[in-house]
Amino acid sequence: MDLKLFFNEAVKRGLVQLVRRKIYYIMMVVAPLLCSLFLLSLMDGGSVTRVPVGVVDLDQSSLSRNIERNLAAMQGVHIIKHYDTYASAEAAVQSGEILGFFLMPADLERSALNAESPKVSYYINYAYFSPASSQYRGFKTVSVLANGGIVKTVLDATGLVDGETVSNVLQPIASHAHALNNPWANYSYYLNASFVPCFLALFILLITSFSIGAELKYGTCREWISSAGGSMGFAIFGKMWPHTLIFTITGWTIQLIMYRIYGMPLNCNPWNMIIAMFLFVLANQAFALLMMCIVPNFRYGATLCSLFGMLSFSFCAFSIPSETLYPWINALGHIMPVRYYFLLSIDQALNGIDLYYSRVYYAALIVYPLLPLPLLGRLKHECLNPIYI
Amino acid sequence: MIIKNITQWFHDLAHVWVRECWLVLHEKGAIIFFFVLCAIYPLLYATIYNPEIVRDVTVVVVDDDRSQESRELCRQLDATPEVCVVAYAADMQEARRMMNEKRCYGIVHVPREYSTSLSRVEKADIDVYCDMGVLLRYKQIVTAVTNVQQHLTSEIQAAKMAAVTTAGAIIESEEVPLGNTAMGLASAVLPCILMLVLQQSMLLGIGTLHGGSRERRLANRGHDPMEVPAGVTSTVIGKALCYVFMYAIPMVYVLYLVPKFFDFPQNGRLLEVLTFTIPFLLASAMLGQVLKIFVNDRESAFIALAFTSVIFVFLTGISWPRCAMNSFWLAMGNMIPSTWAANGYISLQTGGATLRQVEINYWMLWLLVILYFVLACIVEYYLCRPRWRRMRHYAKRDAGALMREEYRRQAVDILE
Repeated sequence: MDLKLFFNEAVKRGLVQLVRRKIYYIMMVVAPLLCSLFLLSLMDGGSVTRVPVGVVDLDQSSLSRNIERNLAAMQGVHIIKHYDTYASAEAAVQSGEILGFFLMPADLERSALNAESPKVSYYINYAYFSPASSQYRGFKTVSVLANGGIVKTVLDATGLVDGETVSNVLQPIASHAHALNNPWANYSYYLNASFVPCFLALFILLITSFSIGAELKYGTCREWISSAGGSMGFAIFGKMWPHTLIFTITGWTIQLIMYRIYGMPLNCNPWNMIIAMFLFVLANQAFALLMMCIVPNFRYGATLCSLFGMLSFSFCAFSIPSETLYPWINALGHIMPVRYYFLLSIDQALNGIDLYYSRVYYAALIVYPLLPLPLLGRLKHECLNPIYI
Repeated sequence: MIIKNITQWFHDLAHVWVRECWLVLHEKGAIIFFFVLCAIYPLLYATIYNPEIVRDVTVVVVDDDRSQESRELCRQLDATPEVCVVAYAADMQEARRMMNEKRCYGIVHVPREYSTSLSRVEKADIDVYCDMGVLLRYKQIVTAVTNVQQHLTSEIQAAKMAAVTTAGAIIESEEVPLGNTAMGLASAVLPCILMLVLQQSMLLGIGTLHGGSRERRLANRGHDPMEVPAGVTSTVIGKALCYVFMYAIPMVYVLYLVPKFFDFPQNGRLLEVLTFTIPFLLASAMLGQVLKIFVNDRESAFIALAFTSVIFVFLTGISWPRCAMNSFWLAMGNMIPSTWAANGYISLQTGGATLRQVEINYWMLWLLVILYFVLACIVEYYLCRPRWRRMRHYAKRDAGALMREEYRRQAVDILE
């Protein structure tokens, strides 16, 4: 009987706290949704096209103009200016006006027809990675085409081979790259599969540590425990479950936006991801709770949580393959729930393979809520014997 | 009279500056953000990205041809720095299973007719299947396969058409990387992150100081014993100058020494870099005094401001380039000091530009200083000061009112 009363009291207190502080509305619903929409709408284009580049044509021949026309037809680059010299083009790259340029040397046509192997070169600013690869693709294709065009003319003229085999001689081996389940190499589909959940994880970590830490800071933790009848379990449950509910709904909304509005690949049974989101929210709450149990102090606990939350964007191997990272950083990445959610979403949402292969990731997410249990006593002790700073 | 006002203004300014410096050095949170964070974060990020280049992405080969030519292809593939052939699979099923088990991230399939096609001067196809979970792996696999393909092509052509062409291509082509000549990942990402660290740590520190001031008011019936009675402009400018002053050492450390430690591109001249950074720090200090309005206590600075770092990083265009952003996000990016600062710093430090070449960024930063100075004055005059007046007003009527309100928000009252 008493148990039920205390349980109700704990839940009621948790709810009232939630609705009285503006920070909860903003950080649990508004900010995660806005951040997700920000990333998704920022990269809505999918792949980087029309990178501003320049052309330095020192030859001014029909061949060089032909090459330039081909370049202008490329999707990845957009010629915005012509430069007379290498130096002026390089200066434009330095000032950020263009991100690269294509240089055709003087006497290009004459040397080519004399078989003197002239060299065209393309200069790419590698300070910006994704436009660099768009440029590389465009420049490289144009150079290969230019060479092919000349060779084809020469071969045709010699009459050694007939027209049909000319292209086979030019390209005896053709490689076909199949980008599985993301054939457009869509940058948004790739990056947002990890960054959007990572944002949500950051908010869960911050809010969980904040709500527990605030009790410690304002010296209200004694009332917190006593309202739950001295049971740490009830106290935590009463505080946490409204968060779980709200974050899960926010998470599902984000999934809806990702998979249904922005059309990111969802090749598995949708329930696999829906359940994963619930487990993900729980796992992150548990992670923050664990941090607060280890460091039962508002400032240090919250600092630790936000440190991990911010760094997980980098050390969870979203953009660098995990095997490339230093082993100890890779290991550190594996303590974050978002790492498992990310791997799971590649397996399920992107590749749609059997659940069997993702069993470890689901299991990891399920294990997180058990981790803080042995340490709850430590937090309770700290709450009942607070040190006022 | 005017002269007296002016001297008074400068007197206030100096007073605010001295007091704020004292506060910064006596507030643990501010010290952590201003100095410790600036000292540690760049090292952490640099260490994470330090491997720079992705090598040896694991692939398996399904060789249905089993000929000398197909083995040569696989040998050359394995010899590239980008990929590493970990196994031969009997068929596509087995290869697929290995991919699902994450033992490889790519499958190279050589069809049965490969060598026959080559000898018949027909087109020989090879298929490459890549996992798209991490884009860099895909990029490395494709690069390796393309390079091997081109190398084999020129070998074959040289053998078949020695009569026509001398050595491979008639028009040769070459790629020349500019700025980040090693094409390293850390060298590309870090300069941007370094600027962001300066800006975000300053925003967080200013938020913490503001939270501290509010907490002192809670405890002192709405009065902050540390407050200097001064006008709005002298308060805002005095505080901003104090923050910029505090960053004198972190600035040199983050922008000059850290690139030295990790051997990032260092083509900038120190004096120009520092000249460029001054308006940036000033703009950040002003922006911080605008955003501090969202911070209520020392600890919520983190919650209210930490996540903006990721957004600001994306707005600089280091990941998704600015040339591909829509005009709304471009405009948003233009409003943030770090956008101009990071791109300018990349030009200076990585590209070796002179200050004159990035003068647009430089003057835009000064424009932002003015913009956020005006906004900071508005925040101070119309939001902060009336709020403090209200606090004093309530406290005068009922001494416990302020603390009771804090407890009410913690839901302690429902127990009574």
